[in-house]
Amino acid sequence: MKRQALFWRVALLALPLSVFGCFVVWPLLDSFYYSFTDWNGFDPRYRFVGADNFVKVATDRLFTNATLNTVIWMVLALLLPTLGGLGLALLLDSQVRGANVFKSVFYLPICLSAVVVGQIWVWIYQPDWGLLNTVIGTVTGEPATFAWLARPQSALYSVIVAWSWQQMGLSMVIFLAGLTAIPSDLLEAAAIEGATRWQRTRYVVLPLLRPATVVVVALSVINSLKGFDILYIMTGGGPFHSSDTLAMHMYNESFKKYKMGYGSAISVILFLLTLIIVFIYFRQLRKLDELHG
Amino acid sequence: MRESGFPRAVALAGALGLAGTFGSGGALAAGEVTISHYFTGELGRAGLEEIFGNFREATGVTVKDSPIGHEDFKTGILVRAAGGNLPDVFSYWAGARTQFVADAGNLGAIDEMWAARGLDAVVAKSVADGATMYNGARYLVPFGYHYAGMFYNTKVMAEAGVTEFPTTWEGFLTLCADLEARGVTPIALGSKNRWPAQFWFDYLLLRTAGPGYRAKLMAGEAAYTDDEVKAAMGLWRDLADAGYFAPNANADDWTDASDKVARGDAAMTLMGTWITGYWGGNGLKAGEDYDFFEFPAITPGVPNAVVGPVDGLLISGNAANRANAEELVAFLVSDKASQATWAKAQGALSPNVGVDEGIYTSVMKRALEAIGNADTFAFNYDLATTPPMAEHGLSMFARFMDDPSGYEGYLADTEEGAKEVFGK
Repeated sequence: MKRQALFWRVALLALPLSVFGCFVVWPLLDSFYYSFTDWNGFDPRYRFVGADNFVKVATDRLFTNATLNTVIWMVLALLLPTLGGLGLALLLDSQVRGANVFKSVFYLPICLSAVVVGQIWVWIYQPDWGLLNTVIGTVTGEPATFAWLARPQSALYSVIVAWSWQQMGLSMVIFLAGLTAIPSDLLEAAAIEGATRWQRTRYVVLPLLRPATVVVVALSVINSLKGFDILYIMTGGGPFHSSDTLAMHMYNESFKKYKMGYGSAISVILFLLTLIIVFIYFRQLRKLDELHG
Repeated sequence: MRESGFPRAVALAGALGLAGTFGSGGALAAGEVTISHYFTGELGRAGLEEIFGNFREATGVTVKDSPIGHEDFKTGILVRAAGGNLPDVFSYWAGARTQFVADAGNLGAIDEMWAARGLDAVVAKSVADGATMYNGARYLVPFGYHYAGMFYNTKVMAEAGVTEFPTTWEGFLTLCADLEARGVTPIALGSKNRWPAQFWFDYLLLRTAGPGYRAKLMAGEAAYTDDEVKAAMGLWRDLADAGYFAPNANADDWTDASDKVARGDAAMTLMGTWITGYWGGNGLKAGEDYDFFEFPAITPGVPNAVVGPVDGLLISGNAANRANAEELVAFLVSDKASQATWAKAQGALSPNVGVDEGIYTSVMKRALEAIGNADTFAFNYDLATTPPMAEHGLSMFARFMDDPSGYEGYLADTEEGAKEVFGK
């Protein structure tokens, strides 16, 4: 009986593990290997260069720029969807007329692929006839032609807004589920005690939303680390690297400048940074679990 | 030195999730040949379907094609090369890009096939000399080539009273000033994908420092901080400072800029002859709705160079259907009907000397004439210098279009890139 159970475990795990090993673990180890070479990505000949690629990172101004952009991306891609989703959830939970319609509408973007969302926002940001400049022009009475995605000072933030617009729906749904789980007698008791609406939200609702917040933050962190596609579609890291993140910089160095060795070194650094973030996150999660049983 | 093969292929494909995108290059029936190309535009694809049909009729061999968008192709084809998974035939740009692939040993030489089929008598010598030979062997079969010129909206120019087009820099500046004074934006440029800006750099440098100096710069034997480059960029900055370029160049791609000219929002754009294919597809008539003039001379005595790319066909080093691949590339350049179809569909000039000039529009005939009158045919920037260097340069052009005032600093940064690329 025990042998049969073991057989099935092995049999059922064999396929996913071999796929995981072949397409995740092997490339990962390969990246480590190539980060110590000067391989250009397609020439069968290459040399080992020791830690040169990692040393070079320290003097690469595009790497510094990409690191800063990655930090900005992660912070804003965490804050905006979380706060926006929370705001929407609180609003829609308070019995707004047509709340169900709004819930569907706000959730809809998450069903779209990043490519579609990116393209929609490229149109919105189009300087000559895009929705945003048209609205600004109509409101101010002055023609607006700012090129949101083509100016270095606004490109990254414009993509983050598009990203947050898509992700907000997911946060909203999770917070709404959390709100439904809050017993109404707690809120009624607080109201009888004289708590204002803001005080009820601040001291009753928000603390009880902590489990939902943990899930939202977890998803936002994980999704923001994966946020390459929308950036690729909307700016490709441009104009002239101003919206490069580490993932985009790695791509450009590897596949546009044909420095696969150096690109692999960047990917190793990105991997280690991600590992640290995930480690910190899971440690916090465990603490919370212990706290709440 | 180390050798590696399959593991890298898996690593790359797995890491990028590209494995499914490209399919497999091996195991084909004897009557088939695979090709990958970057002609994904509606007209180009329709033209190729017709041409591949001609090939099937003539040889009984079926072409299995996998088109990939122009920008993605640049990366995708090298990923396939890394995995030893190239198609039998693939389109590529003659010049430094082909050199890069040839250096890595990914290509199959075609000297024997070229001689056996007498392609010396088929392909124009001016194209064959500069585009087909790499490292002492012949690899590339030219399929079509282009010329970059100043394409303009004839109605806009007529309304502005322009009857003669400038042949000197002073004349060009006067034209821009006149158009500007009449409320017409003189120049549209769509540098969102960076490469359309390169023609400005190419022509300004070629017309001031000459083809010899430019060739040195492209090979890493001159510096981006040289006075010659600064002078060319200075002229470009003067145009930008005068407000002659339509705003937000980096927000537009080349078709947006072409549309601006077609609509009359701008008077002209510096672009390759493929614009005639694009405009033709939109119903514009050569000579009636649009025309072109040559980029004006700047420094007297500098040899007259024209700029453009050559679209070529390469056979991979490990082609599964080598014989069919040779048959296909030879057919594509030799079959006059197919070449004529391609010239019309893509707005390309045919490298086949036997193609009747009657197939061309009046504009294309003049382009051909301009090439014939030139002392040199130079590949445009991103085909003239190595791909890693081109990345630095193209970014510099986009940066320049955002804020031309800092161009000397951008050149210094580009030279830093050049030092690394060329090991200076």
